[in-house]
Amino acid sequence: MDSVMQSTIDKRTAVINPIKAELIKRLNLPYQPEDLHEDISLFGAGLGLDSLDALEVVLTVEHCFGIKIPDNNVSILRSINTLADYVLEQKDRRESEDAKTPAA
Amino acid sequence: MRKLPLRDLLASQGATFRERYGVEVPVSVSDLKKEYGLIRDAVGITDFSFMQKYRVSGDAGVDLLDRLFAGNVAKIRFYRVLHTFLADDQGRLVADAYIANNDEDFIVLCESIADDADLKKLFSFDGQPKTEEAGTAGIDDLTESHVVIGIDGYHAWKVAKDLFGADVLGLPYLSVESYPFEDGSVLLFRAGKTSEFGYLVMAPKEAGPKLMQALLQSAQQHGGGLCGSQIHNELRLEGRFFNIFAEGARVNDPLPLGLQWMIDFDKEAFLGSQAILARREKGYDQKIIGIKADAAVPELKIGDALFYEGQPVASIQATCFSHTLNAHVGLALFPVDMAYAGLRFELGQAGGPAVETISMPPIIPKSLSVKLDEQ
Repeated sequence: MDSVMQSTIDKRTAVINPIKAELIKRLNLPYQPEDLHEDISLFGAGLGLDSLDALEVVLTVEHCFGIKIPDNNVSILRSINTLADYVLEQKDRRESEDAKTPAA
Repeated sequence: MRKLPLRDLLASQGATFRERYGVEVPVSVSDLKKEYGLIRDAVGITDFSFMQKYRVSGDAGVDLLDRLFAGNVAKIRFYRVLHTFLADDQGRLVADAYIANNDEDFIVLCESIADDADLKKLFSFDGQPKTEEAGTAGIDDLTESHVVIGIDGYHAWKVAKDLFGADVLGLPYLSVESYPFEDGSVLLFRAGKTSEFGYLVMAPKEAGPKLMQALLQSAQQHGGGLCGSQIHNELRLEGRFFNIFAEGARVNDPLPLGLQWMIDFDKEAFLGSQAILARREKGYDQKIIGIKADAAVPELKIGDALFYEGQPVASIQATCFSHTLNAHVGLALFPVDMAYAGLRFELGQAGGPAVETISMPPIIPKSLSVKLDEQ
């Protein structure tokens, strides 16, 4: 596997793995991390979480990465992969902003 | 071959048919792009009577269902629906099922890759009630005596409300309720696999034609119309709903398909559980994930290989053209260590067109923007 692919995978697993572990812990899900396919729908079909659980999902991301999920953005909360996409996007944004900020 | 009670009515509307696992299924009514638009933008009415349907009663019935299906039937609350699967004794998928706790009894709706006779054998343990549960459970086969009609789409709730009243707006996803219709009653399931609003209406076949006409009349008032079953294959894939007739039939193992959420691993046993638990313990080496190719790629074909560094590494298991994305999307079976979104592969051969792995579902349905409690 080339370094570009490996780096993409490493970045993604660094987000996905903590999300899975934290969701299992916070929501007391009866699964092992490898049981949770990243595309499973979190609400409705799939894991069947409810609106109270949604808060725990939001807190999971905040706890793991210090990233807040905006209100009313249900599209981010659809699956572990859509959560990971949002986290990766925000991390990239932070990194590019940090790069632009001149050192004190 | 089983013919559906509404066949003639559907044929008069232009439906075409084909056989699937011993049942004549309405494939399409008009072109697929039009049917896609009906459901994504308005509402589509589809005959799902091909489903196998059972009514199971009594404590023995609950025990029987619990011993057969992967999910926990005993824990289904009143008027709620469990989405789970039925496997064979090797843990290979046979049916995708909704099981409703309808207070007095349980209603089971199956989409299966077994014909009616073979599924029935599984239900009764090969025709010989080998357990006390199978011997005393009251099982009524409703497959030929009832119709099931789907209401799916952005405006599906309007059709359900027209026919059954504003009460339907309070139904949570995966619930069931009985409503009067004509001189009898129908069961309304809040369920669906398009990622838009969805309902399934089950009624005795004698009420089928009037029910279909009433649904179509209402749908037409909301810009909708009749659909076939083929468009549902595309909508399910685009919404990343499991499809037993596509990737389910080809991959057949619930674990690489990511169906662990349909299984209660704490349950003592269910049909195929030993085999599934053994595979889970051993660890599986392949996993299905979403892929996308831009519209310039002529086609994604089932069975096509995806290449990486000159070697075939994955195979395509389901495909469709997403009119929302203007791109081909699909599901492919990858080695677990490559089954991540955001990677690029080559289609068909080394140096072939680019295909990327994606997060699913890749579209945001219009229904997500509607709050039924505010209607």
